Amino acid sequence: MAEMILEVSHLTICREGSTVVDDVSFTLEAESDTALVGPNGAGKSTLVQAILGVLPRRTGDVRVLGHALGPRGQLPPAVRDQVAYLPQSIALHGRFPLSVAEFVGLGWDRAALALPWRGGRARRAAVALALAKVGGEDLAKRLVSDLSTGQLKRILLAFCVVRPRRLLVLDEAQAGLDAQAAEQFHGLLFNLRRSEGWTILQVSHDLEMVRRTCSGVLCLNRSLRCSGSPDHALSPAELERLYGRGWVAYHHHHAGASRS
Amino acid sequence: MLDSGFDPAHLAQLLALPFMQRALLAGLLTGLLGGLLGSFAVLRQLSFFSDALGHSALLGISLGVLLGLNPTLVLIPFAVLFALGVNHLAGRSQLPTDALLNIVYSSSLALAVLLLSRVRSYKGGLQQLLFGDILGVSWLDLGVILLLLISAGGYLLLSRRSQILLTIDEPLAISRGVAAGWHRLVFIVVLAVVVAISIKAVGVLLISAFVVIPACASRLVCRGFNAYVLVAALLGAGCAVVGLLASGAFDLPSGPSVVVVQLLGFLLALLVAPHSRLARP
Repeated sequence: MAEMILEVSHLTICREGSTVVDDVSFTLEAESDTALVGPNGAGKSTLVQAILGVLPRRTGDVRVLGHALGPRGQLPPAVRDQVAYLPQSIALHGRFPLSVAEFVGLGWDRAALALPWRGGRARRAAVALALAKVGGEDLAKRLVSDLSTGQLKRILLAFCVVRPRRLLVLDEAQAGLDAQAAEQFHGLLFNLRRSEGWTILQVSHDLEMVRRTCSGVLCLNRSLRCSGSPDHALSPAELERLYGRGWVAYHHHHAGASRS
Repeated sequence: MLDSGFDPAHLAQLLALPFMQRALLAGLLTGLLGGLLGSFAVLRQLSFFSDALGHSALLGISLGVLLGLNPTLVLIPFAVLFALGVNHLAGRSQLPTDALLNIVYSSSLALAVLLLSRVRSYKGGLQQLLFGDILGVSWLDLGVILLLLISAGGYLLLSRRSQILLTIDEPLAISRGVAAGWHRLVFIVVLAVVVAISIKAVGVLLISAFVVIPACASRLVCRGFNAYVLVAALLGAGCAVVGLLASGAFDLPSGPSVVVVQLLGFLLALLVAPHSRLARP
């Protein structure tokens, strides 16, 4: 049996009194690439944030690399090191005096209290290698707040790749990118997944991309409506059940267009 | 009018006086502390928090006066309670934090003035509370500021990575294992204590300048985080010392002199950073 990277069982999440994710169970095998799809407000972002311990859960269990997520979202630091999260966007207000190399270095460090100069040489080497892997060597000295959306996404990938990870959680990674940049980003992600041996869970709205690159699909609309291979889960009949009548035809007219 | 003019001999005489030496030391330490905390506060959009806290502190001081206690003694617990209260409210309320802070500080200010108007004897001291009395700083005050500088500096140094991640994006920080709620609370309490301690020297009206102006000037010119924090702290300290010397030399009020020097530093930063996004309207 393949190693289970993530096991979610009977996960229910409430926000402000109402249930936004209801009794969701699924597992991710090592080196699988699974898309989480569903209409707006279906609870996709909430679900991934609860899995990471960012949002509290009502009931249910989450196991990451075999370790149970604590009731307040705690995981052992050695497990945290192997999980990375790419948010939809990071909102920096005005000039932010943090260089790209410093930012990527934050992905290398553990969050514990430590003297800032500890591990300096190893960190520098890891940061340089990570930037090379995403083709961002020339960005090292730039300020994070000066980057374009596409550059920022690549730097966020460098933040993930700076240390060996097992599980990568992406929340609409292609949001804000035009069609060409989204294509490039996914190509990079696809290559890194294979070379780094990542297991990926990604929230996505781009069903064409999901069909082409993902190995599995989870259809969420408050509860898990269906799951399986893209061919099965993204069949016209299943999509109509998930998004409602009329959506499928609309989508085919706009295949490949950028979504924001 | 600057009728006294500048007189080097006069300045040298002043520098020989113990209270002037204490004032310079107090300015140096307060400036360092303000710049250090400010560099994080400004990025976290907490500039207005320090301003509101400074104004609200007047209520703490007037409560102290009314109860016959040493105002500084009342000020620290008051500031901590204020910080905890605002943090709690901001987390729960549906209102934006700046509106909430505005309500809290304008009502504290109103209550404070009402209270002080009942205490006849204190009317004369209001000026001192508003603009600070750095010449009245004692060795004990200096010790407290130094202790605070060491502990706040140590905390920020050790938790530096967590602080930066929290400033960038909270979910991202939590996903890296940062105890976000705890660090947010500790930071806001430290900021509150720093503001409370500095009020004696700088006054309630100008305290936020110590937190905000050096950090913003540094933010305009620095290209890395370490440099940013260091420049903010040094700029805070430098402006305080230059401002105090100028106030001694030209016989000007001390707090406002320091703030004007900070303003000059900020304008200089605007000039040398013409390509910055903040510099453009």
